[in-house]
Amino acid sequence: MEYIGEHTWAGELGRIAVITAFASALFATIAYWFSQKEPDTWKTWARSAFWIHALSIFTVVGTLFFMMANHYFEYDYVWKHTSLDLPAKFLFSAFWEGQEGSFLLWMFWHAVLGLVLMYTARNWEGPVLSVFSIVQAFLTTMIMGIYIGSYKLGFSPFILIREMPENIGLPWTQMADYLQRIPGFMDGSGLNPLLQNYWMTIHPPTLFLGFASTLVPFAFAIAALANGDFKSWIKPALPWAFFSVMILGTGILMGGAWAYEALSFGGFWAWDPVENSSLVPWITMVGGAHLILIQRNRGGFLRSAFFFNIISFLLVLYSTFLTRSGILGDSSVHSFVDLGLSGQLVVYLLFFVIAAFGLFIYRYRTIPKPKDDETFDSREFWMFVGQLVFFVSAFQIIFSTSVPVINKLIGPEGWISILEHPMAPPGDPISHYNSLQIPFALILALLIGMTQYMNYRSTKANAFARKIVWSLGFALILTILVSLVFPFGFINSLLLFASIFAIVGNLDFWLRIARGKAAFAGSSVAHMGFGMILLGALISNGQKEVISQNDAYIHKDFPSNENLLIHINDTVEMGPYQVTWTGERQEGTHRIYTMEYLSQNDQGEWIKDFTLEPFINMNERMGNNPEPATRHYWDHDLYTHINWADLRTAEEMDEGWQEIGEFSIGQNDTVIVDQYFAILDSILLDVQEGEDPGHPQMMLIGANLRILSMDGSQYKAVPILAIHQGQTEHFDATIDELGIKFHFEKVDTESNKMVMKFSKRDDEPPFILVKAIIFPQINILWIGSILMAIGTLIAIIQRIRKQKAS
Amino acid sequence: MKKTHILLIILVAGLIGAIMATFSDASTYADFDLARSNEGQQFTVVGYLDKEAPMNFDAQQTLFTFTAVDKSGKKSKVIYPQPKPQDFERSEEITMKGYHTDTAFVAEEILMKCPSKYNEQNKMAGNEDSYTE
Repeated sequence: MEYIGEHTWAGELGRIAVITAFASALFATIAYWFSQKEPDTWKTWARSAFWIHALSIFTVVGTLFFMMANHYFEYDYVWKHTSLDLPAKFLFSAFWEGQEGSFLLWMFWHAVLGLVLMYTARNWEGPVLSVFSIVQAFLTTMIMGIYIGSYKLGFSPFILIREMPENIGLPWTQMADYLQRIPGFMDGSGLNPLLQNYWMTIHPPTLFLGFASTLVPFAFAIAALANGDFKSWIKPALPWAFFSVMILGTGILMGGAWAYEALSFGGFWAWDPVENSSLVPWITMVGGAHLILIQRNRGGFLRSAFFFNIISFLLVLYSTFLTRSGILGDSSVHSFVDLGLSGQLVVYLLFFVIAAFGLFIYRYRTIPKPKDDETFDSREFWMFVGQLVFFVSAFQIIFSTSVPVINKLIGPEGWISILEHPMAPPGDPISHYNSLQIPFALILALLIGMTQYMNYRSTKANAFARKIVWSLGFALILTILVSLVFPFGFINSLLLFASIFAIVGNLDFWLRIARGKAAFAGSSVAHMGFGMILLGALISNGQKEVISQNDAYIHKDFPSNENLLIHINDTVEMGPYQVTWTGERQEGTHRIYTMEYLSQNDQGEWIKDFTLEPFINMNERMGNNPEPATRHYWDHDLYTHINWADLRTAEEMDEGWQEIGEFSIGQNDTVIVDQYFAILDSILLDVQEGEDPGHPQMMLIGANLRILSMDGSQYKAVPILAIHQGQTEHFDATIDELGIKFHFEKVDTESNKMVMKFSKRDDEPPFILVKAIIFPQINILWIGSILMAIGTLIAIIQRIRKQKAS
Repeated sequence: MKKTHILLIILVAGLIGAIMATFSDASTYADFDLARSNEGQQFTVVGYLDKEAPMNFDAQQTLFTFTAVDKSGKKSKVIYPQPKPQDFERSEEITMKGYHTDTAFVAEEILMKCPSKYNEQNKMAGNEDSYTE
């Protein structure tokens, strides 16, 4: 049968490209390996194979992108992630919204980096690209979507909806014109509104470039281990290791910026498992890069350098497993939907862990180590201590994040059942991680400030003390001054000092001791940036102030007083502001709430200061999501978001009555209803006889109610119940002056009472619940992020120049 | 003893400390019965909303109360001292982190799982029954 309107050529092209990418990657692995021994025969083959692989990956990416841009909704991936009304600028976000697209993004970067290495790695090209190719071969199978027997290998983005397993054999798949007949195919499901944000256009590609870049030092390390050439990989791997640190770090912080701007949890970091699993490889990569640096500058700790560089890539694989296998399902809000790839992911992870560690352990004894013991007064010793602190910090984060995995292993239904009850992630993750990570941050910041003043091999105590004393003293004074404005507890005060010292120390070292030489700029600026990130995070988080306090108080552990209720056009006090909710409007899928902030001028008058418009993104398919609005100042941010709003449409609210309750009343009874007395004075009965005597055609029962209000005024209401040929009908009685309504529900024949429903006019004006937080000094964090990236970049450029010169 | 060995011992101590900290801070997946018999202790209960039972959101106090049914079918009143989550009625599954008091389960955090997109696709094609999981 010929289906009408399908663009099957696109899917076929995509699939052929995927298969080609896989086959050429496998071939490149082998050819590159042999090219080390016999470059004449193999090198051209190997290079061609990797080029074919890279071009195939680009074709897959291009084809999928073309399909999405042209709305080929017969394809599952296109239908699920785009829609006709999706603005073109969000097409990229849609591309990597799903697992298949983000795997492609990752592979795309591997291919690009591989091509760069092909022309820059010189005699390392063979083994390094061999490692690249085998990783790519494994990854390509993730988007293959072919059956081997009954096992499905990978999940193809080129599958038609009618080919989805759950649709096979359904009647509509037999219609040649199903695309024209079924309205659902005219438009796609659309992109998750949370991802319709410009950060989502740049954060994932940066993050995935960061993930991909960890493969470079890994490949160098594996190549070195395999060939037994343990030292010469250090030189070419060094700039790559720092490149990875820079890109991955930037990608993670961009994710934080997105969360701060678009998500409503109120902050830039929530220790969510998905965030953690991208942070941990960065931490170990920082360790790996610094250990390479020690080896390059002075020698020593070579085994650790191998270990850290290997484990960073393995942790990227592990985090891929965590976020894509569905194992985090209960504990993370933004992990991927399980596509049934978990088995495959476990196999890949185990393959690379066993192969890499097997090789490392096999070579361990032969890796050279320094003959002399390390000395306490050398720079490299304390740098090494710093990397160990990083390692423990990374371990703590990944271990806690792995609670669902631990459950699978030793939980009651796990492999080896040790735990009686399944273990759940910490109830309050933020305080769990903060309390454990702050001491690590504290030690690291002190080391970062201190080691600059030390020399490799050995440091003279006097000279060291003379150099460092100025920045220590200055940092102490600054800490005291800051503490006057922002008082902290003991451990946080120590962190405050340590982070200020890290900034001051590096600045002082660079400007005074290194005399502002460009050669020292990179590391000083990057370390200052790191100190500022810590400082900004500490102040903005530790001193954040929820200004939307209401006066409800239930219990000290109940955080129910952090939302302020504002009626429409009402003005309430909120911290230093008076806030008015002036109205709401709908723009596309956004329900926007206009809030005017007034502040007091010097004369004590309240004048309009600014307007914030937080909104709720209305999306039927994916749920409604509030997005905050933030007012930025140089020294603080005011963050506002709608925590609750009545989202009913105008028609839904038109009814205007709110049922209060039900009551039963007998003749001459007096019942208290809400704030009124209701007295049933009499029952009125009207029976219309039908043709058949004894069987009335229609019966009307009226309850003659007298209503007494608190001020003594009396009202009459006669709700009627009509019974007509077994059908009942109700005629409600309304008292407009009081805005109340009675509804005659039924006659309870057992107790001989009338059952009434009582409603009040819904006259409460609309209201919203608002949460507003002041984050002081959050800009220090963002400036620090930028400085860290710039500093690392300077260091990389300096290093490449130096290597070229030598 | 070499200095690197001292570092190694400190490192191992740090790693063990990290493991212990995780185990002591970790919560436990439980049903309401277990949570009720250990009042005040932190638990994570996975369940779903009892749509028959009344649900009340007191906006003045920012207090949301509802009834949830856990995976073993036990019901409990749940108090959530936060604004009622958007689309709460649509949730398929709710993960509640908190503790039980003598009267109700106090949820400090709620995660909701909403119907997946696969459902929608099948509804679109008019095959609601074909969704199996």
